[in-house]
Amino acid sequence: SRDELVCGSSNVSLREFGCEQSLLSRPDGSASFVQGDTSVLAGVYGPAEVKVSKEIYDRATLEVLIQPKVGLPSVRERSQEQCVRETCEASLLLTLHPRSSLTLVLQVLHDDGSLLSCFLNAACMALMDAGLPMSCLFCGVTCAIDADGQIITDPTAAQEKESRALMTFAIDSKECRVMMSSTKGSFSVHELQQCIAVSQKASEKIFQFYRDSVKRRYSKTL
Amino acid sequence: MKDTPLANCERDFLLKAIEEKKRLDGRQTYDYRKMKITFGTDYGCCFVELGKTRVMAQVSCELVAPKESRPNEGIMFFNIELSPMASPTFEQGRQSELSVKLNRQLERCLRNSKCIDTESLCVVSGEKVWQIRVDVHMLNHDGNLMDAASIAAITALCHFRRPDVGIQGDEVTVYSPEERDPIPLSIYHMPISVSFSFFQQGTYLLVDPCEREERVMDGLLMIAMNKHREICSIQSSGGIMLLKEQVMRCSKIASVKVSEITELISKALENDKKARKAGGRCGFAESMPQERITALKMDETPVEMTEVTDRANDIVQKAEAPSQTVPSPVVPVPGVGQVGQGLQNTWGLEEEDEEEENDNSGEDEEVKETKMEVEQHDKEGSKQEDVVEISDSEEEEVVILHPETPDKAPKHTGPSFHQKGAAASKKKQKK
Amino acid sequence: MAAGFKTAEPLEYHRSFLKENCRPDGRELSEFRTTTLNIGSISTADGSALVKVGNTTVICGIKAELTNPTVEAPGKGYIVPNVDLPPLCSSRFRPGPPSEQAQAASQFVADVIESSEVIQTEDLCIERGKLCWVLYCDLMCLDYDGNLLDACTIALLAALKNTKLPEVTISTETPEVNLAKTRGLHIHKHPVSASFCVFDDSILIVDPTAEEESLKTAQLTVVTDEEDRLCTVHKPGGTSLSGEKLQECISRATARQREIQKLIDKVTRSVKTAQ
Repeated sequence: SRDELVCGSSNVSLREFGCEQSLLSRPDGSASFVQGDTSVLAGVYGPAEVKVSKEIYDRATLEVLIQPKVGLPSVRERSQEQCVRETCEASLLLTLHPRSSLTLVLQVLHDDGSLLSCFLNAACMALMDAGLPMSCLFCGVTCAIDADGQIITDPTAAQEKESRALMTFAIDSKECRVMMSSTKGSFSVHELQQCIAVSQKASEKIFQFYRDSVKRRYSKTL
Repeated sequence: MKDTPLANCERDFLLKAIEEKKRLDGRQTYDYRKMKITFGTDYGCCFVELGKTRVMAQVSCELVAPKESRPNEGIMFFNIELSPMASPTFEQGRQSELSVKLNRQLERCLRNSKCIDTESLCVVSGEKVWQIRVDVHMLNHDGNLMDAASIAAITALCHFRRPDVGIQGDEVTVYSPEERDPIPLSIYHMPISVSFSFFQQGTYLLVDPCEREERVMDGLLMIAMNKHREICSIQSSGGIMLLKEQVMRCSKIASVKVSEITELISKALENDKKARKAGGRCGFAESMPQERITALKMDETPVEMTEVTDRANDIVQKAEAPSQTVPSPVVPVPGVGQVGQGLQNTWGLEEEDEEEENDNSGEDEEVKETKMEVEQHDKEGSKQEDVVEISDSEEEEVVILHPETPDKAPKHTGPSFHQKGAAASKKKQKK
Repeated sequence: MAAGFKTAEPLEYHRSFLKENCRPDGRELSEFRTTTLNIGSISTADGSALVKVGNTTVICGIKAELTNPTVEAPGKGYIVPNVDLPPLCSSRFRPGPPSEQAQAASQFVADVIESSEVIQTEDLCIERGKLCWVLYCDLMCLDYDGNLLDACTIALLAALKNTKLPEVTISTETPEVNLAKTRGLHIHKHPVSASFCVFDDSILIVDPTAEEESLKTAQLTVVTDEEDRLCTVHKPGGTSLSGEKLQECISRATARQREIQKLIDKVTRSVKTAQ
């Protein structure tokens, strides 16, 4: 059912997704986010003491570390770390904790496509669990354009491989605008704008999920 | 980040409790915490929960050239990652004392015990063998990382399947899982590490210490053993002296624990095999608890695509079309070009010319260079049509009390005066 | 007075200029700095180019080596880009292993090469499964004044256009390299990037200097090719932008692509005619 997605009229979908928060005892906030088979574990420490070399006088220093499943982090992980860090920096109110450190560690548990968007979603849930003050929430959506020019949201690894272009966007919860964009492959302006519009639609579903999970946590009954 | 120090009163409390044979979590001296073994979606991925301690192991393989000393054997590689997620004191990419210790112990436990048949990993003798890599990631540190890591590693190795290979002449083909069923490793026995912590110079002993207990312990004894009660490695650290009887007692306890744990691993592997055969989904997504208030799951959801195309069209059409007229670049000398009227470079163009004109005769070079000088002067504002007049105007500039001239004047009037003269004469000659 | 104001309140200083739709260095908001290009700057490299965008200077050298193709892609050669930010280019960089910015820039250049298909790696294969070219593209920043990525892509593209590979013939096992006979690379696409900074969550400026970069709230780099297709829309976070704003950036990037392609073409031609 996920294969026939016609742009404009069709049923583009997100794979089943889920999240568990506070599952680790050591970090101040933790979450595991699952999208289909793709899953990421996130842990947040902070605000805590900061190294003098990394201290910033008017805000907290955020460090993001991505741990691949096999081997050591490479240049690709560094670039993803930059994307996640700058997205988090834009939504966190870092000026409330000057001269302190925040550390966000993201561990890949399984990669079955849309990994960067899963990193973003796990990061946001973990930051929420840590109770850090934020100006808005954010979520990640990955879109692929297949050989026939059709848009596939939240693609699997196999769909990513077949695709002609791949884009991941971070969308903010306040105005549903693009916070982060990372693309691969070449595409037209039209395709880009369509993917942005689709991601904005999809982000509504994810933000609703965020809301539901918070409601569930603070309600007295399951 | 620095570790929070343990308060003296907490330390005293812990030691006192141990003296009274009581443990923080209500366990008995020889009890293990609750253990849970789950598997990931791929082969060779295993999660172990030991109380609150969490560890993940992933096995992967690669075709490499064998070691020269052992041309018929595959290579085993172990790597324990102390991820900063497990504890704020762990730093990424830094070899700490603890990580070296754990890595050494895991190697002793799984490589030196020869529990894996490395000869079966040979593909072409002396040329291609399989390298099996085991990555163990610590996810949450609540004590006894070693036992959790050893259980995760051996379970992942048992779970792992490597791709099948075919050899035709010199060609080695690696078959995908769709073409041929992947092959499990041949494992002779399963060594499992059991940790004992000692308190008050070895007077008290606890099995499976938690993080708090580890912080007040005096010494640690790690025994790696298989279910046939064969000791694969024994390691004591922390600088306590143990009596022969103490070691014997520990090894007896270890043999009981090892047989229990081996049974649990076999059962977990069996269950996973059944689930995979049944074709059901297995892996991390399935292991997520449903009954907790901190967990939530959402089924596959469609995204409405109405308006999306219209919206995209709208944005593209409303946008200003890019200007079609493009400024023409200036090419002062071959190999150099410039575009844009914004800022002038503080770095002139002369240097670049030199590289380009290397092969030209000296005379030409001089002409080019001086020409550039003149051009530069023009840019700087003194827009003289005729080069000869420059000398006059510069003298005038010295008289005028322009804020910039005092700096410039001495620079220009001296050396450049002669050059300009030369340039002018050269130019005239050419004409 | 102005200098003191600038040091004490850099953000207010910039704001007071942006209010009047201009920038401290006299540029308009959508104006690039003067871009200077020199190709064939390094005689020992197989291809090279030096680019100055304002004060930002990047030199690119391409070294071609013969190697075995990978097992996964026996019919392809490969390209290895590397961006180096040595301490000499700015006091913000320290000696030692590459900084996060340098690594992110290397990854960006690698992504642009892959996404734009500027070179088809099949062209680099000499004999399937046996021999191929590997192109080491070393990009070094000599002077850092912001907008590193634009300078890098221009330097890379110009250097690739300048690259000449010797002819290789394979006769009885050993490959023979004929240095006298060289050929240029086939450049399929001309990707050019344009970088933007967002100021105060709303004002878009193009081609930021190092000072503007340090005050930005978000950064965006758009790479387009001559067919107006987008190769990369790289926004590593920061404050959010609407689709309309992105569209403005894309239009500006398209115009920039034409400008730079013309520059590169003209300079390349000038070298050819000079020879």
